[in-house]
Amino acid sequence: MASERPLLVATTPGACNPDDAPSPHPPAASLLPPAQQEPPLRADPLAFSVEVPDPFRPSRRGDGPVDDPSASSQREREVGDNESRAVVVGEPSPEFAGNAIRTAKYSVLTFLPRNLFEQFRRLSYVYFLAITVLNQLPQVAVFGRGASVLPLAFVLFVTAVKDAYEDFRRHRSDRQENNRLASVLAPGTAGDFQPKRWKHIRVGDVVRVASNETLPADMVLLATSDPTGVAHVQTVNLDGETNLKTRYAKQETQVRFSQNGGVSGILHCERPNRNIYGFQANLDIDGKRVSLGPSNIVLRGCELKNTTWAIGVVVYAGKETKVMLNSSGAPSKRSRLETQLNRETVILSIMLIGMCTTASVLNGLWLLNHRGELEFTQFFREKDYTTGKNYNYYGVGMQIFITFLMAVIVYQVIIPISLYISMELVRLGQAYFMGADKDLYDESSRSKFQCRALNINEDLGQIRYVFSDKTGTLTENKMVFQCASIHGVDYSSGEDTGGYSVVVGDNLWTPKMAVKTDPQLVKVLRDSGKNEEAKLVLEFFLALAACNTIVPLVLETRDCNQKLIDYQGESPDEQALAYAAASYGIVLVERTSGYIVIDVLGDRQRFDILGLHEFDSDRKRMSVIVGCPDRTIKLYVKGADSSIFGITNKSSELDIVRATEAHLHKYSSLGLRTLVVGMRELSQSEFEEWQLAYENANTAVLGRGNLLRSVAANIECNIRILGATGIEDKLQDGVPEAIESLRQANIKVWILTGDKQETAISIGYSCKLLTNDMTQIVINNNSKESCQRSLVEALATTKKLTGLASEASRVTIALIVDGNSLVYILETELQEELFKLATECSVVLCCRVAPLQKAGIVALIKNRTDDMTLAIGDGANDVSMIQMADVGVGISGQEGRQAVMASDFSMGQFRFLVPLLLVHGHWNYQRMSYMILYNFYKNATFVLVLFWYVLYTAFTLTTAITEWSSLLYTVLYTSLPTIVVGILDKDLSKATLLAYPKLYGSGQRDEKYNVSLFVLNILEALWQSLVVFYLPYFAYRRSTIDMSSLGDLWALAPVVVVNMLLAMDIFRWNWIIHAFVWGTIAATTICLFVIDSIWILPGYGAIFHIMGTGLFWLLLLIIVVTAMVPHFVIKAFTEHFMPSDIQIAREMEKFKNVNQVNRSEIPMRGFS
Amino acid sequence: MPTFRTHFSYEALLELRSSYTCSSVKTDSKFTQQELPACKPILTPKWVISVFVLVGVIFVPIGVASLRASQQVVEIVDRYDDACVPANVTDKLAYIQDKSIQKSCTRTLTVTKDMNQPIFVYYQLDNFYQNHRRYVKSRSDDQLRDKSKAAVTTNCDPEATLNGKPIVPCGLIAWSLFNDTYNLILNNDNLTVDKKDISWKSDREHKFGSDVFPQNFQQGPLIGGKTLNPNVSLSEQEDLIVWMRTAALPTFRKLYGRIHVDLKVNDTITVHLENNYNTYSFGGKKKLVLSTTTWLGGKNDFLGLAYLTVGGLCFFLAFAFTLLYLIKPRKSGDNNYLSWNRPPVGR
Repeated sequence: MASERPLLVATTPGACNPDDAPSPHPPAASLLPPAQQEPPLRADPLAFSVEVPDPFRPSRRGDGPVDDPSASSQREREVGDNESRAVVVGEPSPEFAGNAIRTAKYSVLTFLPRNLFEQFRRLSYVYFLAITVLNQLPQVAVFGRGASVLPLAFVLFVTAVKDAYEDFRRHRSDRQENNRLASVLAPGTAGDFQPKRWKHIRVGDVVRVASNETLPADMVLLATSDPTGVAHVQTVNLDGETNLKTRYAKQETQVRFSQNGGVSGILHCERPNRNIYGFQANLDIDGKRVSLGPSNIVLRGCELKNTTWAIGVVVYAGKETKVMLNSSGAPSKRSRLETQLNRETVILSIMLIGMCTTASVLNGLWLLNHRGELEFTQFFREKDYTTGKNYNYYGVGMQIFITFLMAVIVYQVIIPISLYISMELVRLGQAYFMGADKDLYDESSRSKFQCRALNINEDLGQIRYVFSDKTGTLTENKMVFQCASIHGVDYSSGEDTGGYSVVVGDNLWTPKMAVKTDPQLVKVLRDSGKNEEAKLVLEFFLALAACNTIVPLVLETRDCNQKLIDYQGESPDEQALAYAAASYGIVLVERTSGYIVIDVLGDRQRFDILGLHEFDSDRKRMSVIVGCPDRTIKLYVKGADSSIFGITNKSSELDIVRATEAHLHKYSSLGLRTLVVGMRELSQSEFEEWQLAYENANTAVLGRGNLLRSVAANIECNIRILGATGIEDKLQDGVPEAIESLRQANIKVWILTGDKQETAISIGYSCKLLTNDMTQIVINNNSKESCQRSLVEALATTKKLTGLASEASRVTIALIVDGNSLVYILETELQEELFKLATECSVVLCCRVAPLQKAGIVALIKNRTDDMTLAIGDGANDVSMIQMADVGVGISGQEGRQAVMASDFSMGQFRFLVPLLLVHGHWNYQRMSYMILYNFYKNATFVLVLFWYVLYTAFTLTTAITEWSSLLYTVLYTSLPTIVVGILDKDLSKATLLAYPKLYGSGQRDEKYNVSLFVLNILEALWQSLVVFYLPYFAYRRSTIDMSSLGDLWALAPVVVVNMLLAMDIFRWNWIIHAFVWGTIAATTICLFVIDSIWILPGYGAIFHIMGTGLFWLLLLIIVVTAMVPHFVIKAFTEHFMPSDIQIAREMEKFKNVNQVNRSEIPMRGFS
Repeated sequence: MPTFRTHFSYEALLELRSSYTCSSVKTDSKFTQQELPACKPILTPKWVISVFVLVGVIFVPIGVASLRASQQVVEIVDRYDDACVPANVTDKLAYIQDKSIQKSCTRTLTVTKDMNQPIFVYYQLDNFYQNHRRYVKSRSDDQLRDKSKAAVTTNCDPEATLNGKPIVPCGLIAWSLFNDTYNLILNNDNLTVDKKDISWKSDREHKFGSDVFPQNFQQGPLIGGKTLNPNVSLSEQEDLIVWMRTAALPTFRKLYGRIHVDLKVNDTITVHLENNYNTYSFGGKKKLVLSTTTWLGGKNDFLGLAYLTVGGLCFFLAFAFTLLYLIKPRKSGDNNYLSWNRPPVGR
């Protein structure tokens, strides 16, 4: 990412601006740096990450949505943090974890036991193992010892090698990481930094980091090269966000460092936790208590940027660092197919037990019938005459039991354990092709499609609900300032003026991005500097430039006299506003922790930042208290309209408020994001009162967040409205088309957004989710009772409308629900009503929803229906929704990688959802369903052939097929073609699937995997096993045929039959599939040759002998044909007389109708 | 797009994954885009009918040929286990186990049809489970092949050792070697039964050692069947080799020898047989079979009938499908048949 601006060298404004030396006596209140803050209208990741502290912790997923998304959990956290750790600055403390990290799981010694333990945590391996152990008992042994251990050993070995390789890589990277060097202050010295390996760093060490170096541990900043204590870090390794974050050293420590070259003090901080956005600590220094927050800590894995050096004290090291605590895996989801597969496994288990019982009971009956004869029967020989005792015979009851156990070993294959391995391989292959698909590759951000969860590929083919975030998902999240309403006047015509530049010495500083300016507004601003209107306009722009946390970076260009100002910040809205202000000539030039420098129409002025109230999702606004150059103290506020209008000056001009409100309405119906800006002048006494409270709150150990909120609430009142802004959030490419395709595919698209109702509705229109012929139902209430009332009314309306729908043309209903109402609906008995209503509607828009409400809405559908849900989003506020939904998709966009990290699939654009679901989802589902059913069928066929033979061996579980063939049947004879087909076969081409989105319905209706298909497959297995067994049985009855020869026929015939059936069902034969299907039959034959070439096996030479007879070949031919007839008849009949949509589409693809497909493809060009 | 370059386990794993899940998008090959040239077979009416007709056309002649071959086989089967026990014997088991009794027996067979040489002489056992689990495992192939491995008798119990010394050949299979003998006389002339080459060549050459001789065989408390001449190597004991190719099914034939003389219709063959083998303990039947063979083997109409049935069925299906296609034709690839284009009620 750093390569994006390779030619530019960034410097901090302070460093290259000697005229603007910091004031020697900064006001005391300015000591507190502005903390991070977030876009006003969006629910803020900071607050969110406090509410759901850990996107990775799976247990949170099951939690129901919280009815009140306020900071209840935050309160708990602050109270719960009584236990803290004390760190003496400069004194390495051995009592806390060292900085060596160990991500490797095994050492050479522990590898074998631990790896085996890990592997056997899978149930299927335990089943495998139990069967193998059973087989080792001499009485029960069916297979030779070597042969029975082999498959399990093979699987264990392959997995172990894979694990060992991964662990080796981890060891290597651990070693590299641990041996990196950092310069550490030698204890007891002042300024004597010595190199030390990372692994030797301990909590309490004082570490110096230079520019572009990686931080070795989580450190509290003590001092930086910047005199005001600013340091910039890039957190790309932590959360993927590439913009610079500003961190501050406290003035107390900064000053002390410059005086003594060292600091001593005791730091009390929270215990190590996973919240990368939260930190609370106090530093006792010189008998004074200084409070520290998230903006004072820099975390391991981040890189120091644009700061020559920074010095910090290590507070968390090694495995206790936040990045390490966050490096656990994402919660694993199970695919629906896999869950359904368990049901069939149970049926098969019952079948297995039934077969074993039959065999053992018949065996018992046979023994009873022949009770008296067993002694002299040559083939039984009950007694060992040398000892006179029974030989290997324990009476009928025991014999039945032993036979049962043996039967379990022989027939265990009917539960296809290898299926799980096949499925993993198939998913890996599918993931490869999804990742390689150029239609899922985003050119603009150069981001590939990524499968982050490898076990739910096939769920993509069964989605019925898509829950989409708006900002950054449907829209680009590149905010552009469009219009402003200032003091009741609307300025919304824009004109390209090429931007505005500031002259600094000999240099010309230009903001990186120019915004279209309204000529009239420019005129007002320029011409009459003194009238009241112009003053307000100026205040308005000052508020835009000051009321934010933007850091201006000055970038060199090739031209020495030209410099670019790049506004770095965490909120795209703030960036847009700062650029807007700059374009009108109010340019934010510099920010330090205590003040900002703004170029006001060519006049550089310094504004002291006296305090800042961060944005939070309760207040929905932020404010900043500024000491202006004219010695006045002002409060600038910006925030959502609802939140600002509630705190306005009651005596303020009503007509202005009304006009502003009208403009806001206009902006939001244009689809713009709106903010209201206000200000208030503070008197000295008000300021002092606030300052005291603010400082108290800031140094409080307990409940700091709440105290700060109440301080903010006290000061944010009597606001004078300055105006409002409208920011455009552009729709991504192809979004309307994508939504149309999804709707045609019978997927309901719900939009969950933090935006206002009007904005949400207008976005709904612009992405064609809403159309004019829809009936809109709006639920927007402020109490539970009214919510209930409107829900009941709405339900009645929908009933009436849908009742009509069957006769007249269909009436579609759109439901718009407000976040306020959701507070009263979710988690209460009204949920049921909402669910009924929402499922009746074809479109649902939820506006002003909090992150946890998003998850609540997903849960509303997920818990009440069997329908598959998909959530797509890009921001941290979508994490809970992404984890709640059956399938979570992350957009790797502007807002960092939190959503991507929590998602199952990630991609660059919303419109990729269409090829992902309609094409890959459809394929994956079809392939996986077929593979599972086929695996059940093929193993059942084989096991049934074994079973029929047992009826002719006095029920003694002899297998005519050699034990090697029995074991290789699942591993080699039949497994590879299904895997290859599961990866490569396509029922329909991409073009067809995109042109006919309704074809997606086959997955939604479970058409390819259901109980009746399963039963059909088992019946097919029954028929084919009968054919495979009984045709040779009758042909060879009363002949000289020996067991090995017939066994070879019985081994080869099912292999040919099941592969032929697969061949019959393959949709597309390319050379790879040809190679694998025919190759497998050839390989089986070769295997039989090899097995029958081993002298010491009884079957030596049998295959050659039987293949020399004409009867063998005639039998093979008739077996294959007879076995296939029913399948062929059913297939021919259904395909012609009961064609599925897929069948029709295949025919359309193959015959003449190609033109038709092409024509309807044209509007879909956006996807391919 | 920030690459996730970290040194921490989960990300490292992901990186590992993504390194093979998403290798390179640049190579838009037909393979990665899943657009390899492929054949897309569709079962059109033409294909369905052709397949059925083709199968019928192939199967019916094969069926006729197989049936004819089976009809050509001449087979004489004589069950003698009951008849060869004197009528006054009530306890057949005691009779057969009594070694002192000479158990000769004479049977007369009449040739029903001309039989061309070679004529195969089989013995047939019914209800003898040579595939019984206890039985089929009770052998040592190591020992049969290699003189030095005589002591390898692991699976041979309860016929593994005698007084601590290994039995060669060990195990129940060898122990229960069939020991009835047949002397055939045709019109007062001795009819030579050629007992050479009745076993598989591969068995004689590779499976049974020419330097392995029987030891301690058939000397235990219970005699199971035939004794072997200890001076003849196993590779020449063809009866044993045949016997040890265990039968697949409980009713089976084993080759006893061949007759290189043509037999004419109404020839009578007198068989002097030694009825030694004990099938009385489990009610097994013993039969002597004389049979000619064809390219398809012995007498068995089943295969021919099966071919005719399947072939006939395919002709019928071809006819039925033709009829169905005519009654309810459907234009293939007509998008009016797509479910959302069909009228909602009926079709």
